[in-house]
Amino acid sequence: MSRKTIARKPIKREKIRREKDPIPWRYCLTTLACGLCLVAGFFGAARQHFSSMDYGFKNSELRKQVEELETEKRQLLLSKEIALSPGEIKKSAKQFGMVELSASNIEIFSTAEEKKEKSAKQLVERTVESKPVKENLAAKISEKKDSERIGKDGKSSKDSETKIAKSSKTAK
Amino acid sequence: MPKFQPKKNKKNNPVQTVFTRYMLIIALFILWIGAIGARLVYLQINQSDWLREKAQSQRRDIKKSKQLRGTIFDRSERALAMSVTVKSLYADPGEIQDIDATAKEVAKITKQKPKDVLAALKTAKENNRRFVWLARKLDDETFDKVNEQLKTDELKKYDLPKFAGLHWEDEQQRSYPYKTLAAHVIGFANKEDVGSAGIEQSQEEFLHGVITKQWQDRDRLGRVYEEEEVEREPSKDVVLTISSSIQYKAEQALADGVKRSGAKSGMAIVLEPHTGEILAMANYPTFDPNNFTQFAPENFKNKAVQDMYSPGSVYKLIAYGGALQEDMIRADAQIDCSRGFIEVGGRKFNDPHAKGTMTYSHALAVSSNFAAIKTAVGLGKDRFYGYSRNFGFGQPTGIELPAESSGYLRTPAKWNGDSIGSLAIGYELNVTLLQAASAYATVANGGLRVKPHVIKAIREQEGGTISETQIEKTQVVRPEVAKELRSMLQEVVQKGTAKRAQLNGYTSAGKTGTAWKYDPALKIYNPAKYVSSFVGFAPADNPSVVIAVVMDEPRNGGRDGGQVSAPVFKEIAEGILPELNTVPDANIKQEILTADSEVPTETEIAPDGVLPHLDSEAKTSTKKVAKAETIEKEEKELTPKKETKKDEKPPSDKNKNKTAVILDGEKRNKSSGDKRKEKT
Repeated sequence: MSRKTIARKPIKREKIRREKDPIPWRYCLTTLACGLCLVAGFFGAARQHFSSMDYGFKNSELRKQVEELETEKRQLLLSKEIALSPGEIKKSAKQFGMVELSASNIEIFSTAEEKKEKSAKQLVERTVESKPVKENLAAKISEKKDSERIGKDGKSSKDSETKIAKSSKTAK
Repeated sequence: MPKFQPKKNKKNNPVQTVFTRYMLIIALFILWIGAIGARLVYLQINQSDWLREKAQSQRRDIKKSKQLRGTIFDRSERALAMSVTVKSLYADPGEIQDIDATAKEVAKITKQKPKDVLAALKTAKENNRRFVWLARKLDDETFDKVNEQLKTDELKKYDLPKFAGLHWEDEQQRSYPYKTLAAHVIGFANKEDVGSAGIEQSQEEFLHGVITKQWQDRDRLGRVYEEEEVEREPSKDVVLTISSSIQYKAEQALADGVKRSGAKSGMAIVLEPHTGEILAMANYPTFDPNNFTQFAPENFKNKAVQDMYSPGSVYKLIAYGGALQEDMIRADAQIDCSRGFIEVGGRKFNDPHAKGTMTYSHALAVSSNFAAIKTAVGLGKDRFYGYSRNFGFGQPTGIELPAESSGYLRTPAKWNGDSIGSLAIGYELNVTLLQAASAYATVANGGLRVKPHVIKAIREQEGGTISETQIEKTQVVRPEVAKELRSMLQEVVQKGTAKRAQLNGYTSAGKTGTAWKYDPALKIYNPAKYVSSFVGFAPADNPSVVIAVVMDEPRNGGRDGGQVSAPVFKEIAEGILPELNTVPDANIKQEILTADSEVPTETEIAPDGVLPHLDSEAKTSTKKVAKAETIEKEEKELTPKKETKKDEKPPSDKNKNKTAVILDGEKRNKSSGDKRKEKT
């Protein structure tokens, strides 16, 4: 078919130039495009490969860090357990002046209301039991005076008097 | 012409030419691709395995690392044993060029002798070995030092240390943060991380760190870019019923008690009677599992479950328990003990506490042999044996600790005529402390025997529980009988041989036991050596804990259970009851005064005719004992004298003139000793 068409127009050969023919360019472009695609694919694959390698390195580093942190955590746990051993606690508690739990100092479980009642009762008992401050002081003063009469040292007795007087003032 | 024309046409047709050329190139390209494809197919299908192996060998490391051993926790989640990762330095002598310089550097940092390091490296190189340990289980400080100081900048090496031929290897180290605490229960793992005693040994299956297989792909610099764990089975954690706080208190009290009494050793168990959970199990002397090689191997033995001893009067519980269960006696019923002795199977058993008529309860309180033997005889061989078995004697308790002893209890068919008399007062049999504690826990728990156990749960490290210990229960005596027994045992503490077991703020109950110790070398019961015990519980009515204490060969002062073991019971109980939130049920006093004269001492250890008869070897063995006693006397004279009260005379003084006897159940026809009588 094509031969016939070419043969029919031999005069027009001059006009049809090879450079202007779109068919080879099309082939070239197609080839180029395919080649580019291929190269792009290769680049993409390479990029992915290297990035995966990079992630692999980072992952490995992180795993290593996790392991190290786990090790550190266990070592800290161990140190904590050593510090919390009963022997160590006892030593520290004694330093703070704490007393060991025994039947004599155990606080029996009671409800909040019971505790309130207890504390209220204790307050009442204390006020009943306690004596007026003035009376106490007066009794103390009289006792001191008696002792001073018996004692020979005058200075000390005066000092004690002043002390008692001061304390009575503060009490008032 | 006709041929030329098409050729000319072809040449003249540039499009055709381009097309042809283009197609040729394409064809070549396809051929090339096809060839490559075919080659790839050939390689991928036919030679894939060989190629894969070759590639992997170039880039892949297979790393095998032992996983950390499981942790052992106490009941409050405190770690009693745990493993940590440590670093060890090894060398590949093939990679080292200057061995002398390397040896010097390494020795300097790791504080070793350069000669030793050099010798190790040289030997390995001569033998073409590619692995030699240089320093193992180093601390963090030394690890950092090695990495900093052993550094070659030019060397392209990814892993630390950046020094040719040196590498790090992860190892694990077992640590016991509480040191000696519960050492006998936990046990220890040896250098190869294999459990060698205690829970470490019995639970090896769960605790051991499985070797993990892991592959790592490395690039040319040795950097890891891909890794995957191929095999992995994580180790399990074990949660114990032990309370570290209670264990500590029990150990302190026991150590004090052993030192005070000059005993050879001591053991104590604290048991929760309702659940069978062991809250504490102490042995003295003890050891530190962190440095177990520095201690004598005898110290590793958990005597509370592995050693047997004659329980003595502690065993009287069986006779009374059985008789009460069979409605043969009542606690408040009267028994006439005025004879002062009882004859069983032709043997005479003396009873120094036989003071007329008394109640069974009081008979137990003063530890009357007469009443116990009479009760056991009334019960009969088979029933007595049956109750012994039901209370758990003569069989292992099944606790999760290695090498548990089953004790020694013969079947009635193997008994002699007088065996029931001996058994009633705790001879001719051997028990473990755990069995004794379990029997008393049965009474404390309303007659229901609960299998004692020390493991609460086994669980995965992620938190999932694999197994929890199920409580096994057996009804041994009726709850009413158990209650009656509890009140009888309370009288022992209030009025009997165990006044030193009276607690401040709490009621308590229990029974003392003192027995001559069997000497396996001499094959006799040695009257100079005692095993003094006390097994009790508190509070008496509603017990929270059962505490069993045994002192082996106490030497100072009084040697019976009431004087030696009961104070340890008191110290432990008073220390732990408030911690267990047990409400005080008795008056709280500042100090309980128990004058020595008030406390009747046990003499059931030395009643005539108590022990099996002597055979022909008796004379020689008696001489040996006498010799041993004289040696002991000499030793005492050499040691500074201690003040002893009149009433604290050791019971052995009373027995010095008496003969030691051989425990041989089969040969007991002959008798010796002035006071022994045989009845035909």
